[in-house]
Amino acid sequence: MTENSIVEEFLKRCENVAAKTVRVHSAEELQSAVHERLFDNDRVYCPAMTEREKTLVIREELRVDDCFSANVTVEEVLAGIVETGSIVCSSEGGRSLQASVLPERHIAIVATDRIFATLDDFFSRYDEDPPNNITLITGPSRTADIELTLTIGVHGPKSLDIIVA
Amino acid sequence: MNDVPKTLNFRKRSAQAVQDGTLRQAMRTATDTFTEKRSQGVASLPIEAWRDQASEIKIGVLDDLHNYVDRFAASATRAGAVVHRAPDAASARDIVYNVLKDHGAKRIVKAKSMVTEEIHLNRHLEERGMKVVETDLGEYIVQIAEESPSHILAPAIHKNRQQIGRLFADKLGVEYSEDPEVLTGIAREVLRQEFLSADAGITGANFAVAGTGSIAMFTNEGNGRMVTTLPKLHIAVLTIEKIVPTLADLMTFIRLLPRSATGQPLSSYLSVITGTRRPGDATGAEALHIVLVDNGRSQIAAGEFRDILKCIRCSACMNVCPVYRTVGGHAYGSTYPGPMGIILTVLLEGMEHAHNLLDATTLCGACADVCPVRVPIPHLLRELRKLRVKEGFTPSLERMAMAGFGMAVQSPRLFGLGDRMVKAAWPVATFLGGKGVLDRLPKPAKNTAGRRKS
Amino acid sequence: MRAQLFTTCLVNTFFPGTGEATRKLLEYFGVEVLSPAGQTCCGKPPDSAGYTKEVRAAARHFLSVFEGTEPIVIPSGSCASMVKNHYQHLFERHDPMRRLAEETANRTFELTQYLVGELRAHSAGLRGRGKITYHSSCQLSRELGVKEEPLILLKSLEGAEFVELPHADRCCGFGGTFMAKLPEVSMKMADEKAELIEATGADTVTGCDHGCLMNIADALKRRGSRVKVKHIAQVLAEGL
Repeated sequence: MTENSIVEEFLKRCENVAAKTVRVHSAEELQSAVHERLFDNDRVYCPAMTEREKTLVIREELRVDDCFSANVTVEEVLAGIVETGSIVCSSEGGRSLQASVLPERHIAIVATDRIFATLDDFFSRYDEDPPNNITLITGPSRTADIELTLTIGVHGPKSLDIIVA
Repeated sequence: MNDVPKTLNFRKRSAQAVQDGTLRQAMRTATDTFTEKRSQGVASLPIEAWRDQASEIKIGVLDDLHNYVDRFAASATRAGAVVHRAPDAASARDIVYNVLKDHGAKRIVKAKSMVTEEIHLNRHLEERGMKVVETDLGEYIVQIAEESPSHILAPAIHKNRQQIGRLFADKLGVEYSEDPEVLTGIAREVLRQEFLSADAGITGANFAVAGTGSIAMFTNEGNGRMVTTLPKLHIAVLTIEKIVPTLADLMTFIRLLPRSATGQPLSSYLSVITGTRRPGDATGAEALHIVLVDNGRSQIAAGEFRDILKCIRCSACMNVCPVYRTVGGHAYGSTYPGPMGIILTVLLEGMEHAHNLLDATTLCGACADVCPVRVPIPHLLRELRKLRVKEGFTPSLERMAMAGFGMAVQSPRLFGLGDRMVKAAWPVATFLGGKGVLDRLPKPAKNTAGRRKS
Repeated sequence: MRAQLFTTCLVNTFFPGTGEATRKLLEYFGVEVLSPAGQTCCGKPPDSAGYTKEVRAAARHFLSVFEGTEPIVIPSGSCASMVKNHYQHLFERHDPMRRLAEETANRTFELTQYLVGELRAHSAGLRGRGKITYHSSCQLSRELGVKEEPLILLKSLEGAEFVELPHADRCCGFGGTFMAKLPEVSMKMADEKAELIEATGADTVTGCDHGCLMNIADALKRRGSRVKVKHIAQVLAEGL
């Protein structure tokens, strides 16, 4: 598969599990994709740890310092997995796992070169000594516990936006 | 447990269950939906090859179970977990209680776990002054209703939205609503406070990886993630047959479990947790205690029914079971309902307690078609019925009738006599049977032209 | 061509017409039908109840009555599966009965299996009438793997319309002793089956096992339904 078709397939599979997706091709496009997804009264948590996170400009009045007080997290995640339409968060490098579960909205940036075709492709790097927490996120939080009615956003985010950059 | 009846009465419980129209409708919808989603979820995938692989991996572990338990314990310890071994339910309860006590934990949040149901953990902790809150929505509903789960995946599936609306209004003092979205929102608010103020989180694990000491947990709601990352103390309770050799082996089960359960390619969240928070980490429990529960597994693994230990609790077998969909989970009166539940309950609780559950199958075999790890469920059920006869837990009238059959079947004259007796006795039997079984059968034919001599 | 016919307990006691129909069908296709004297029961009832000793007695008797080399034809999926799939496991590996059980299994056929596989009855232009639906019984479809044969036969009937039954392979609630031990549950299961059958608009429901058909007939009767219940042998023999 070419890189392009891998990305296309990844986006399709993420959409299939009710994530919303967009692909951007430059830092400017990424910047505006993030902006379009934020609203005036949002409280935004962005870890500002990766290069992409650091270069993102988020309006100062929207920013909060921790995910506990945020209603939306913008972050670059560790990886994407085509097979399952998942994004991957991990505790490596001091990253917070709560940032992707506590707020009501999760905006995840996935680098094109971090998209793996299969579960095995991704996990094979962890044969020994995996980090404390690797979490695969496949669509927003959901339940069907009441009369099997699908309800999005139980404990975790009600929406998941995936931006492939 | 002293309030558990000596012998489960499935006949009585199931006869009551089928009278409940709401329950029957709910069970039909739920099991049909899950079954349909499963079929769609496995379509055009190499599912048969995955099933073979999964079965082989599990058998490999069962062949050398104690070695794998040791390996898992060593790996988990190396990663920072404290590993405990509980030979039975009572010791598992004590271990969990003592760990909580040592940490001064009083408020506990839980993610859905069947083994903690099996060992009746909640009541044990509550009786000792701890507050235990189930955080899976269905499990939470069942908990505040003071009931038990009726389905291992969708615990509150026996309740309709009106019942849940009234329950929330009664117990939580909120305004009545029957909108699932509103009700879910209420639970989100209430439980969020519980997560943030909890001293400890208790979970099960879907799988445990011997090579790395990791545990894997699948959830859709995100409660499992809260329970494992917010409180400082995390206790994972799991039975020893959950072990798989390596992370690479885990992949097969990641592919099979959610698809078999709900048809999803993957549940919303899969967390692979290895040990405790590392230096420099921002999240994760500071202390992880893993309680490896045997509670009968070693014994089962050594015997002829070991294949049941391959079970990964996906619930596909109950969703396709025509008996389960008719009676619902509560009728079984056991922690694990449905086809796998019958087998496990008989083996864990003993024949004397559970032998009646062996009637709760038509041996139709639908379960074997869907089991992701190829547990030969109908075969095990048949073998357990043989064991029931051997151990003398069938009615004496039945035993006499069968013995009579055994003699007559070898003698055409005697068998023919029996045949004629059936015919002669039919009107009387039908009369005596009343609304029972006999008047559901047709009348015997007057002649037996079909079996004429050639 | 010769075949041995085993007419099963239910056929013998309650539905001799099915035995006659089976014989008629086989003869129509040029088969000389033998009815070995002394046949009794295949042992299915004690087998599913767990009474091994009694099953073994039944198996020994069956195997001796049905000695020979001719194919054995059985108008019942569950009895055929008993002989074909379960007999051999009743005997130890070096027991001569084991060999006999295996040999016998190899020449045992459920009726539709024989009609389609050996006699190609589906290409014979058999006639039928009315609107027919089909219940796929459990041992037939899951243990014997006979899923297509009855459908091929029914769809081949000239003058009859075949309608598919939704969830055709879901158990009707008969289950041998199940029906007697848990009548309340069994009846609900059969009610649901009857409901599905009625919804097809068929005037006849057929199948390959009188156990299931008996249970279904009872449920249809409870509903006051006019759908007729017939063994597939009867449906097929009517068009000869």
